[in-house]
Order: sequence, then structure tokens, then C-alpha cells
Amino acid sequence: MTEPKLEPDIQRISWGPQHPMSGQTRILLDTDGEKIHKIIADLGYTHRGIEKILENRTYFQGIVPIERMVMADTANIGISYITAIEKAAGIDVPERAQWIRSLVCEMARINTHLYAFGLQAESTGYFPAVFLWTTTDRTVLLDLLEELTGARWSYNFFLPGGVQKDFPEGFEDKIIKGVNYLRDRFQEYWDAMVENYTFEIRTKDVAYLSAEDAVRLGATGPVLRGSGVSIDMRKESPYAAYEDLDWKIITEKEGDCLARTKVRYKEIGQALNIMEQVASEIPEGPIKTRVSPFLRIPKNEVYSRVETGRGEIGIHLFTDGKDKPYRVKINSPTLRNMYVFERMAELTYMTMADMVVVINSIDPWYLDSDR
Amino acid sequence: MWTFLSINSKPLLQITLIPGLAFILVFAIFAVWFERKFLARAMLRVGPYYCGKRSGLLQVFADFLKLFLKEIIIPDDVNKWFFSAMPVLASTIPALALILIPCDKNWVLWDIGSLSLPMFFAIAGLAPLIPIFAGWASNNKYSFIGAWRVAYMYISAEIPLVLCGAAIAIMAGSFDLVKIVEMQKNMWFALPQFIGFIIFFIGVIIEAERTPFDIPVAEVELVFGWRTEFSGIFFGFTMMAEYVMFQAWTLLFITLYLGGYNGPVLFGNVIASHIFWLIAKMLAVVVFIILLRCVFPRLKMNQMLNLGWKYLTPLALLNLVFVLAMKVMGVA
Repeated sequence: MTEPKLEPDIQRISWGPQHPMSGQTRILLDTDGEKIHKIIADLGYTHRGIEKILENRTYFQGIVPIERMVMADTANIGISYITAIEKAAGIDVPERAQWIRSLVCEMARINTHLYAFGLQAESTGYFPAVFLWTTTDRTVLLDLLEELTGARWSYNFFLPGGVQKDFPEGFEDKIIKGVNYLRDRFQEYWDAMVENYTFEIRTKDVAYLSAEDAVRLGATGPVLRGSGVSIDMRKESPYAAYEDLDWKIITEKEGDCLARTKVRYKEIGQALNIMEQVASEIPEGPIKTRVSPFLRIPKNEVYSRVETGRGEIGIHLFTDGKDKPYRVKINSPTLRNMYVFERMAELTYMTMADMVVVINSIDPWYLDSDR
Repeated sequence: MWTFLSINSKPLLQITLIPGLAFILVFAIFAVWFERKFLARAMLRVGPYYCGKRSGLLQVFADFLKLFLKEIIIPDDVNKWFFSAMPVLASTIPALALILIPCDKNWVLWDIGSLSLPMFFAIAGLAPLIPIFAGWASNNKYSFIGAWRVAYMYISAEIPLVLCGAAIAIMAGSFDLVKIVEMQKNMWFALPQFIGFIIFFIGVIIEAERTPFDIPVAEVELVFGWRTEFSGIFFGFTMMAEYVMFQAWTLLFITLYLGGYNGPVLFGNVIASHIFWLIAKMLAVVVFIILLRCVFPRLKMNQMLNLGWKYLTPLALLNLVFVLAMKVMGVA
């Protein structure tokens, strides 16, 4: 990347990739004392060419590398590719499989929101108490996932045409038990962190993003909903069983970092509701339709949109009759939100201390943006 | 002239034991250990576990040894003299302030009578200069920002602290720390000067750079603030400096507001029980301040300045006026 010219009396700080909070990216900050004038994001440190890798894999093999985009959120990333394949090939999925998919997706969503929640706490200078709480409490979910899918992370559980395994015996009761435990814990998070006065003054009115700006700059996910725009791919273009489930889109009007944190917090509550519904109302039936592993899809072009923990992911899939995709283009949520983050310094007053809070409020995952 | 070196001499005991070297080192070891072990409980962890049989006490020594044996890296572009001198000075200058603290009427290492309280503020006022020089000498942008954060923060904290000290001196009628403590035989100054007590307590947290005022070393923002470039034992010294400042200000806080060494006589020995009460009070305050770390996020610089100039300074002035009025009316 060529660095833009420096204005006079401005100091440029290279924030990352070697910084305790930066992750695998570099962000150039043009600062005047504490105030930040300009943010330049230098992405691409973890580019692995996933789009190109997918062109060299059969449709079934491609499920494995694409889930590596976001490790905390593998189910939601995986289902985006799988719904694209199913759309292109016209595969029907049994209803029970759709419900199981919704369950695993919501568990992954809680998992990734917990991570974002912990990092948001740490970015305000909470010594990592909340971060370690969230990491400990997600064990409940990982245990459930392990029992259902066989893996705690990166389960490759979804296949075109359904899911790999049905519920083990007595799994529904375990879900209810886990949900009840997490409900209690989340009440503690609310009391200890979101209601904490110091946390509130650190995040309230920081990086205000109006609804118009959020739409204009292409924000997505909790950033968009935190600005009061009610868009969620689970309602816009329903996939899995979200049409049959009873849940609502969470929005907050304030548009600041606190609102984004609250959106995540309340979405976890909705996800717990969905888990409970799936455990009690899941229909009986087969869990997959038979699809050949050497699946060939005739010439077609589809676009699938899925709501991940960070926002909308779009998979643009071109097929040409072979057993491998002709081209896959991934529109990732972190990249879209990073454009918003770059504009934040111009839209609002931001200091060095705010910067960390703001970047964690968009919940970046650089493997996602770099692909 | 060298009589103080005889084994029975009081100055030697004072320098080596209390309030001297052993006092500082044991305090630092305790504070690091307590912070690690008990904050871990708040975070659903166990903390250091294997080194020192589950209590994790030996981990502190192991880490000290590691810091001591590590290579000291002096970057190319730094000002070498300043860079090497500052970590050492950072832990020694606040330690100088400790020698003014009375552990008993007859147990003051540097008894300068009515100059002791101003001298404490003078020595402690030197301390923030060290981070500023260190940040400048490091030739690092994070260190530099951290250094200026130190400057802003200490100025806004020390003015209310000095005003509170003045109120105490007016009430006691003396700047002598021993006399101030002796005045509190019957009633701690925390009761008549409750506003000053609260302000001074906040000031102590600011001076010790503890959460929520650990702004100059804010890890998630500035890597490690003015201490970013130090490695090995230099880093160890800067860590030490934090704890020495913490200890010095806590001791002054106890001396001014919580009755200093006063307390019921134990063990039938007046000096020993006085020293016991001083340490007990210090540990109580220190534990309270350390535990704040799992409750509060960090404040921003502008919020910190707001607190210092808009709230602490006017309230400290109010406290001073209040004490003056009490003195004029002859209540105190």
C-alpha cells in the first residue's frame, strides 16, 4: 500500500500489526496529540486466496476452506456457501435439517457475539474479566456442539442437501439446560458491564453513526442495526428455518458504540429463544436428501445472502457444468464495516482512546475481510 | 560518623527493614502476588498455580529472575543516557519519599520536623518528570503520547492533593507528619475532613496509576505507554516504580487521614504495635485499590481532566475553606 502524504503538524502512528489490540492488520492513524484526523486501514495481511482455492475444490471439498474465514462463526459462513450451491443446483432440503441448521447457526452466533462482547469490554480497559467470563461460558455451547457435530470448532456439519447427523438421544433437554444457564449468566453481564457507569461514559455518544450514513457507507450487521436500520438477512432472504421460527430483529436508535454492544447483547437473547424453540418444536423427518459427492452443476449464476455474526455475507457463485465452481466472489461483512470505520474520524470527534473502542464495536475479523 | 552501621543502630534497621528496602520489596512482592491470584478469582481463573505449590507465590520470584536475566535491549535511535538512567531513577525517587513516613514517634528515618509534609510533596512531585523524560528518550510515538498523558494527569491530580494536605496542616497546626499523626490519637482526620478524605483517596489512585486511572500505560491503546521500549531489568524497574509510588502515596494517605501508626497497643511493645498498625492499614487500603481493577473500565484522558479540574480541585478548595472556618470558630 502506498501511504498517503502527511499533512503538516500531524503525526502518523502505525497501529498494528504488532499491537496488543490490533489483530492481524495495520491501521494508520493521523493524530494531532490525542485527536485522530484520519484513519487509513491497511488490510490484506492475512490474504489466503480463499476465493481462488474454492475454484480448485469440488463443491463438497470447498466447505472446509471457506469455513476458515471466521473460526468463531464457522456455521454461518459455511451455510452461506451451501445455500449458494443448493440454489444453483436446485436441491431441496428436508425441514428437520433446516431446523437443525438454524440451531447450529444460532449457537455459532452466540459464540461470536460473546467474543465481540468480551473484546468490547477489554477495549474500554476492563481488565479482561468480562473477556474471560465470555470465554468460559461459551464452553457450554462448545460442549453442545461437540455432542451434536463431533467438533468444538470448525465442524463442517452442513452438507448440500441437509446436515450430517441427527440429534443424539436426550439432546433437546441438554439444550434447554444450557440455555437456562446462559440466561442467568447474561443477566450478570448486563449488570456488571453494560449497566456499569464507567463503561457507559466510555461508549455512549462515541462514534455516532446516523442511519443515513450507515446506509450510504454500506454498514452491515450490528453496526447497521445499532443505527436503527432494521435489516437482517434472516428476514430479508430467509434461509434455513428462520421463516418458521418466532424471533424479531433487534435495533437500537442511538447509533453509538453502546448501541452496537446492546444490539449484540439482545441478539444473544433472541438466539437463546431460537435455541429453545428448536429444542421444543423441531419437526420429525429425514435430515438429508441424497446428493452425489461428485455434484456437477449446470451453467448458472446465483447470489446467496446470509446473516453472520458480523453482518451480511454475500456469495456470488458462477457454475459452468463442471464439478468445481467457475468463480466464487465473497462479499464479506468485515470489509464493508471497515469502510465505515475509515470514515468515522471524519464523521465524529475521535481520540486515541476512542479508537480502540470504535474498532471493536464493529467487531472486525481480519481473516474475514482479507479472505 | 559510621556508628549507624553497627548492628544495633536504629538507622541501619530503618534503612534495611522499615520503612527501607525490605519494606518496599516485600510490599511489591505481596502486591504483585495478590493482584495475580485474587483478580484471577474474579475472572474465573486460578492464577499462578504450579510455582510455589498452588499459592503461586514463587512465581513472583521466578518472574523477577527472568526479568533480571533477560537481555537489555537499547534501541538504536534512543538517547542512551536518559534511556538507561530513567528506569533506575523511576523506582528510587519515589522510594525517597518513603523515608519521611513516621512509623512511630521515635521511628522516623529522616526527621526534618515541620518540613516533612512539604518535602514529601516535593519529592513525589519529581516523580512524574521521570516518565516524561523516559518517554522522550525512548523515541517512540506510543512512549511519547504516554509521557504527555502522565504530565496532564499528574498536574490535575497533584493540585487537589496539595490543597488537601494544606487543609490537614491547618487542622493539625503543623506541617510535621509526626505531629499530624499524634493529633489523630483520639479521632482520625477522615471524619472531620470527609471531603478531603475522598479526594485524597482518588488522588492516591491517580498517582499510583491504578485502574480506572491507568491512562498513561493503557495497554489496549498505547501498547505500554511510556514503558513500551524498556526490556529486561529496565522494565522490572519501571514495574517497581509503579509499586513504590503506590506504597508511598498510600502511606501518606494513612498518615494524613487514617491515624497513621495509631492503634491499640499489641504484643506489649509500643513501637512494634505501631509498625503493625501502619502495615495493616496500608494493606487494607492497597487491597481495596487493587480490587477496583475488576470493577472499573479505564477513563479517557478528557474525562480524567474533567474530574481533576471540575470536581476534585473545587471540592478541595471547599474543603480548605471549611477547615479554615472550623479553625476560626475554634471547633477544631
